[in-house]
Amino acid sequence: MGLNKSRPIYEKLRIDPQGRAHLIVTDLEALPQDTIEANLALSNIEIWVVARIARGIAASPSGSRAFRSVADLLSHLSFHLAREPVGLRLYAAGTEAFLWDVANTARAAGLGKDEIFLTQAGSLRRRVYCTHCKSMNEDAVANIATCRACGARLFVRDHFSRRLAAFMGVMVDAEVPNEIPEIEVIYP
Amino acid sequence: MKARIQNIRSLSATIKHITLAPDAEDSFPAGAAGAFILLEIPGPGRVWKNAYSLVSGAGRRQYEIIVRRVAQSRGGSAWLHDHAEPGQLLEISGPANLFPIARAAQKHLLLSAGIGITPFLSYLPVLQRQNAAFELHHCCKLDEQEVFRPLLPKAPNITLHGSRNSLDLMTLLSAQKLNTHLYVCGPEAFMDVTIAAAKRIGWPDAKIHEESFGGATGGASFIVKLARSAMELHVAEDQTLLEALEDAGLAPPRMCRGGACGVCELPVLGGLPDHHDHYLSAAARAAGKSIMTCVSRAKTPELVLDF
Amino acid sequence: MNITLKPTETFRGDFSTRNSDAAILRFPFPFPEDVYMYAVNIEPHVPGGPTEAFTAAFDIDEHYIGECHDRALTLIDDPARCQVLPHMMEAEWDTLELLMESLAKDYPTLFTLTKDGDIWRWQNHPLGIDQTFSFGQPETLPYPPFEYITRQVQGDFTIQDHRDNNLYMDGGMVTSQADWSLNFDLGMSFHEWHGPVPVAHELGVFDRALAYLLRLQYGKPVRRLNWTLTVNPRLDTSPENYPLWGPDKATITPENIREKMCLRVELQTLTRLPRSNAILFGIRGYLIRLEELVRVKKYAKRMHRVLRDLHPEIVEYKGMPRYRQMIIDYLAPFDDGEILSSGTQPDQTSL
Repeated sequence: MGLNKSRPIYEKLRIDPQGRAHLIVTDLEALPQDTIEANLALSNIEIWVVARIARGIAASPSGSRAFRSVADLLSHLSFHLAREPVGLRLYAAGTEAFLWDVANTARAAGLGKDEIFLTQAGSLRRRVYCTHCKSMNEDAVANIATCRACGARLFVRDHFSRRLAAFMGVMVDAEVPNEIPEIEVIYP
Repeated sequence: MKARIQNIRSLSATIKHITLAPDAEDSFPAGAAGAFILLEIPGPGRVWKNAYSLVSGAGRRQYEIIVRRVAQSRGGSAWLHDHAEPGQLLEISGPANLFPIARAAQKHLLLSAGIGITPFLSYLPVLQRQNAAFELHHCCKLDEQEVFRPLLPKAPNITLHGSRNSLDLMTLLSAQKLNTHLYVCGPEAFMDVTIAAAKRIGWPDAKIHEESFGGATGGASFIVKLARSAMELHVAEDQTLLEALEDAGLAPPRMCRGGACGVCELPVLGGLPDHHDHYLSAAARAAGKSIMTCVSRAKTPELVLDF
Repeated sequence: MNITLKPTETFRGDFSTRNSDAAILRFPFPFPEDVYMYAVNIEPHVPGGPTEAFTAAFDIDEHYIGECHDRALTLIDDPARCQVLPHMMEAEWDTLELLMESLAKDYPTLFTLTKDGDIWRWQNHPLGIDQTFSFGQPETLPYPPFEYITRQVQGDFTIQDHRDNNLYMDGGMVTSQADWSLNFDLGMSFHEWHGPVPVAHELGVFDRALAYLLRLQYGKPVRRLNWTLTVNPRLDTSPENYPLWGPDKATITPENIREKMCLRVELQTLTRLPRSNAILFGIRGYLIRLEELVRVKKYAKRMHRVLRDLHPEIVEYKGMPRYRQMIIDYLAPFDDGEILSSGTQPDQTSL
C-alpha cells in the first residue's frame, strides 16, 4: 500500500518560540534525550514524567515532577490545563497511544492543534481497535493481533484514529476461515 | 437573487440600518452568524458590488445590514445613503461565510471597533441561545457611543468602550484561559494592534479569527494584459481589477470581493502585483506569481495575467 | 419525475432486490472513458446529467422503501452507525431543512412540508410518517434531527466541520458503505479519512480537492462519482460486519458471477450548509448486477476495458483480486472493440 495519510508523522521535540510557557509530559521515567532538540534549562519549561512507584514523588520547585502512573499524570493534566492561561504549549514524548491520550486530554481542555506537539519515543507497539466488537487491545507488536475480547484475529491496518488513539483492526480471515498470512513482529 | 428594500433607519449621520426582504421567493436562504452578502448598487455608468455582514440572526424573512458612509466612497455606500429608498429592488448574492463562530471553542472573546461590530451582531443571538461563554468588547469614538449602545444587549459580558484607550488589551488577553478563541473585526489599525498583542503572549494562530473588508479603495490606474483572452484593459483609479475584467464582459472567478476568500486568485505572468488581500501567505505575496483581483492592484504600469 | 416505488425488497438474506428496465437506464454509470484513474472529477451539482439519476438534489428511486428498511435494521444491530459530535447541532438542523425542502420540492407526490413559523409538519407518504415538530427544538422529534431525516433518505451522509483550514468528519449516518467505518473515522480531517486510498495521495488529488471544497459556496453544490464492486446487492458492506459479508467473496464462480457481482456506484454530493457553515456530504449508492449492466451495450464494453486495464494498486484497494479475471472473462464476449462515445450516457433509450 502507498503513502498513508492517517498515520501521524512525528518530529523531534522542539520548543515553540511563540509559546509563553511550556509543559513537557512523558510516559517514560525520564525524557528520552535522543528525541529532543531543545534547551530544557529554560526557566519557563516544566517536565512531567511517570515514575511508576506507589509512593509517588512530591513536586519539586525545579519545575519537574513525577507521577505514580500514566493515569495519574493524565488526571493531573486535565486539572492543570483547565486553570492555565493562554500561551502555554504542551509537548508529549512517548509511545503512540500515550501521545494521543495526552492530545485528547488537551483537546478536551480546549487546546488546538498548534498548541500540542507530539514526539514518539520508546516502543513502536500499537493500540489496536477491534472494529467488530469495539474493544481496545494494547501493545500489539505484530501485523496480526488477536482481539482479547471477541477472539477475532485482526489484521492491523495502517489506518490511525486520533480520536480513539488506536489503529484499525479488521478480521484477517473473514473471506476464508484460517487463511492467515505469516505473523511478523513489525512494531517492536 | 432580487431583494426589496423594506426599511431604512438612520443610526447617525453616517450610519444606516437597512432591512431587505425577498422579492419573489417566500424566504431568503438562512444566513449564518458571521455571514455576508454582496449588494449590487447602481451608480453612474456602472454597478458597485459591496460586501456587507448580515446583522440579523438566522431568520429567513429578512436580511439586515448596517452601512457606514465611507468618506472617500467609490459609489456604493454613498448611493445607499443618498439614493436608496424603501421599495427599491436590488440584486444580492446568497450569504457566504468567511468568519464563522468556531464551534470547537469553549469560550469566545469578541473584540471590535467602529463598524466592525456588524458580524458580532449576528453572533450574539446564537451565542446567547447556546448559553456559550463569551465576552464582547466594542470600541468606538466617544461621540458614537450612543449610536452603538442601543445595538448591544445589556449584559455583564458585553462592554462598550468610548475610546480604544479605555480597553486594557494586554490585561484582558493575558487573563484568558487555554480554551478561548479570539475574534477581531474593525479598522485595519485596530486589528493589527490587537492581533500583535495576542501573538506576543503566545496566542496560537488557529485561535485568532479576523475579518476585514476594507481593501477595495482604488489607487493608481494601470494596464492589465490578459494572455489567454488576448485583451488589454485599463483599470481606472476608482475601479478594481476584478471590476475591470467584469466590465470587459469576462467572467473571472470571484466571491467575497474583500480579499478574504481566495476564489478570485489569478496567475501573474508579468509585472509586479500590489497585494491588498488577507488570503495569500507572506511567501506567496513575495513570489508575486498570483494576485487576488478583487482588492489587489499593480506596482508596475502594466500587469500580465494568465487569463 | 414519475417513479413507482417497490413495496418490499431485501438487500441481505435472499437479496430479492432487482433493477427494473427504467432503473438500469437511469443508472449513474461512472466511466466516461475506457481507462480509469483517480482525478478531482468534481462538477456543479445542477439538475440534469447523463441519466435521470442526476435530476434531483437528492435522488429517490424505486428502491426507496427497501433501502430505508435496511438502514433501520442496521441501526438496530449497531446504533453507532449514526453519530454526530455535540458541537454540530446547527449542522443537524441545516441537514434536516435541506433534505426536507429538497425532497418536498423534487417529489411533491411523495413528500409534503408545511411550515407555520417554526412549527413544521413533515409528511412522508411512502413510509407513512406524519410528524409535526418545532424547528430548532430537538426534543420535539423522535430522533435527533440529523438521524431523523437521514433515516428517511437513500444513501449515506456525513457532515464536515470547516475549521483550521480543513474539513473534519464530525458526524454521519453510514449504513451502506464500501468498507469504511464511521465509528473509526469520526473526527478525522480530510486527508486522514482518505488515508487508506492508494495512489491518489501521490497524485495530489486530495490536496486539490480539499482546496476546492474549502471554497465551496452556499447554494452551489457539487458532485462526483466513485465506484467499487460488491458481491451481492448488499448495502451494509461495513468493516464492522466484514465477518458476515467477507465469505460472500469466496462464493463467486464463473457460473454465478453474472448474478452475484454488482457494480456499486456512489453519486457523491457536497453542499455548503447555511447556519453551521459545515459541508453535507451525500454518498448515494447504486447497485447493479453485471447481468443487468450488460443490457446497456456501451456499459458492457466500457466496463470490460476499464477492468482489463486497471492500475494494480486500485485492484488491490477495491478488494478485487479474487475475482477480477472472472469478471473480465464474463464481459469480454460483449466487447467487439467498437469505438465508444465519450461520456457516461447509455446511448440507448430502451433495453
